[in-house]
Amino acid sequence: MSNASVPNHHSYAGGNPKRALDGVRVLDLTHHIAGPWCTKLLADYGADVLKVEPPSGDPARGMPPFFHDEAHPDKSLLFLYLNTSKRGITLDLKSSEGKRVFLELVKDVDLLVENYSPRVMPSLGLDYQTLRERNPSLVMASISNFGQTGPYRDYKATEIVSYALGGLMYIFGNYDREPLKHALHQAQFKAGTDAASASLMALYHQRLTGEGQHIDVSIQETIASTLRDVVDNYTYTGAVRRRQPNHSGDLTRLRAASDGYILPNPGIGAGLNWNTVVDFLEEPALDDERFADASARLANAEELGEILDRCFETKKKADMFYAAHERRFIYGMVQSPQEVMENPQFQHRGYFVELAHPVIGPATYPGAPFIMSGTPWEASSPAPALGEHNEEVFRDRLGYSDADLARLRDAGVV
Amino acid sequence: MAGPLAGVRVLEMGQLIAIPWAMKMMADMGAQVIRLESTLRMESYRGDSLYQNDISGEFWNRGGNFYEQNRNKLGITLDLSKPQGLSLLKELVAISDVFAENFTPRVIRNFQLEYDDLRRIKPDIIMVSSTGYGFTGPWANFGATGPATEGASGLAYMTGYADGPPVLPEIPYTDYTAGEQTVFAVMAALVHRLNTGQGQFIDVSQSQTASATVPEALLDFAVNGRTEARMGNQDPDMAPHGCYPCRGDDRWIAIAVADNAQWHSLCGVLQQSAWAQDARFGDKAGRLRHREELDRLVSEATAGWDVRELMERLQEVGVPAGAVLDGKDLLFDKHLMERSFFEVVSHHPSTGMPPLPYVSRPWKMSATPAVPGRAAPVLGEHNEFTLVELLGREKEELAALEQDGVIGYAPAAARPVARPPLDEQVRQGRMQRYDIDFREQVERAYPPQQ
Repeated sequence: MSNASVPNHHSYAGGNPKRALDGVRVLDLTHHIAGPWCTKLLADYGADVLKVEPPSGDPARGMPPFFHDEAHPDKSLLFLYLNTSKRGITLDLKSSEGKRVFLELVKDVDLLVENYSPRVMPSLGLDYQTLRERNPSLVMASISNFGQTGPYRDYKATEIVSYALGGLMYIFGNYDREPLKHALHQAQFKAGTDAASASLMALYHQRLTGEGQHIDVSIQETIASTLRDVVDNYTYTGAVRRRQPNHSGDLTRLRAASDGYILPNPGIGAGLNWNTVVDFLEEPALDDERFADASARLANAEELGEILDRCFETKKKADMFYAAHERRFIYGMVQSPQEVMENPQFQHRGYFVELAHPVIGPATYPGAPFIMSGTPWEASSPAPALGEHNEEVFRDRLGYSDADLARLRDAGVV
Repeated sequence: MAGPLAGVRVLEMGQLIAIPWAMKMMADMGAQVIRLESTLRMESYRGDSLYQNDISGEFWNRGGNFYEQNRNKLGITLDLSKPQGLSLLKELVAISDVFAENFTPRVIRNFQLEYDDLRRIKPDIIMVSSTGYGFTGPWANFGATGPATEGASGLAYMTGYADGPPVLPEIPYTDYTAGEQTVFAVMAALVHRLNTGQGQFIDVSQSQTASATVPEALLDFAVNGRTEARMGNQDPDMAPHGCYPCRGDDRWIAIAVADNAQWHSLCGVLQQSAWAQDARFGDKAGRLRHREELDRLVSEATAGWDVRELMERLQEVGVPAGAVLDGKDLLFDKHLMERSFFEVVSHHPSTGMPPLPYVSRPWKMSATPAVPGRAAPVLGEHNEFTLVELLGREKEELAALEQDGVIGYAPAAARPVARPPLDEQVRQGRMQRYDIDFREQVERAYPPQQ
């Protein structure tokens, strides 16, 4: 694989001076997905991220899928992906000593990211007002399910609840079935990205003025911010959009090919020339008055749908995809994870990178989501083992002696 | 209030969502975003989702999707096929910090607007290109829509009802995913420029930004050689976990039960003591094994409930539950209203549109809140401001530029998308319902700002 990264446990100590966020110091009090994705974005583009875990570890260490299905704190694939380029220490924030150490660490960072439920930081005595006394220019980003204020503040949520209350679920799925959510953890990733963006806006302001601030990111609102023509359909016309009926003649509907699924897009709207569709699909039955214009196609949708189904079923999706693009029809195709990894475009761009981890060894990870010409993305180290950098950080950054460290360890603080 | 990005100027040559949404976020936070448009090739979002479905007159200034994506921007029109138009664009590049575009590389090359061209004009320019599959590589010039990149990324493959085909949401979902990561990318480049004075080129592949959010599936294949089947709303680690019917037409609640305590709380609220005592459901492993049966039972038990009441009762006892909100529900949701998530924006007087609430942003910043919302520009609204105030042209030149077709105020040949009357849309099942008095309802909840 191209763009292979060589693990380097000491990259923080000077780092790659060419990465975009070089010199940005981040204290990472995050767990699960949304927060770690936020700090991974920052870390892979150069920020110095110190991840603080409770002595029991980030619960994401227990999330499947695992390397070879072996449940183990260093084998959760999601955890390994989400925590590249970070150093990790453990700290019990419920102990007064742990809190003292944390306040020490807060002093010299630019950014603190956390994604506890809104009551947790204040209950630990670590609310923004307290922290800014230690560090007036601190930017603190808090990610939570429903935000730091409001009647749902303390509601519990998982992905499916965020999809429901965020408004995406209602327009997702079959007309006559229950609403659906995306697979996996999309809402968490949206929130993490948005938190990273807002953090850099605040950091930009901090660099210019010295002023810090607190950022409140709501996972519900990250979903609700990205719904085309849903709320506006109501404010513009008074109508409520729903999951659309299954219209088999729809030209852009997902169709089965012989080896998977294709997303046709012949160029829609008033400009569609039916002859080009007939010509491209090489299906004489389509060359018919009954399908020649949009209203005729709607009236004969069932029949049209059957012909189209038949005509797609016999073709391979990639053949059709490439043929369409030769004519600049913007077809898409559904790729399995294997097909994504083997895709010539992704490979050409060096998207997948090999990264070695001391426990699972080398593995192929998704790499740079975007390419910066002057300041490369780099997974500069694999996800840390629990407490991997305790000694280094306590000794070098905080000036603790070996005896201090032993005492903290005995007290269960680290 | 100036916003944290005050002083940053963005020149945007965007279309639809991926770049326009991202630059709206920058504009909200104080950047001056100049949105370039063409009168010859009208942005299609100007012609769809029109206010009150009214296709008459200057319909292009009443497009809902356009207003959604372009708040707080300045709008200019330039015909880039004319040398004068292109040269004005380059003059704007010379005074901009960021140039953002989402056309195919073919188009950008044709206009000689690649990064190497731009940095000759403005050495520290940050250019961001957002394309379906990336600016380089064998697929570089393949146009793409949101569904296509969702398909390419691996996300669509994993999503859908169990045993059914892939299902995609009815929005160009991955365009937003790309937009979100584009904001981050541009901010990272701006921070770097602050430190070093150097600009650069950012190449966003909308497929890659989406793939970055499905790592479990990609790594599971990479190290275990496994691909999980589509599983609808089910969860590998929680049961019951799904979307269940409530009282009324198309009303649903999402419920996720992670542990025994939540399970017993659910049984209590739904008054199903028999479930609580059923040994098959006594632990998580058992519930996961009998998830189909549980989905059936829970669906029966929720069907008579009011969705809001059930959500509140479940949340009171710590069970993650959420009403499936539709567009109107979101607008009037007490939580979102208390957080001022929707912001009232006034439209240009020529549109005849009242001030309307729009979704704001997924973040709130304590020291540098967003700038007061200004509606997206009507076509050519800031031609004069941009050319006279920013480029120092004489006001008298505008008439000549208009005469020559370099700038304009109306699309040359654009047709609106006519939607059927609402009764018909409801009959077809495209809309769930509609309110005749929606204007009064919206204005009552979101009075125009003084």
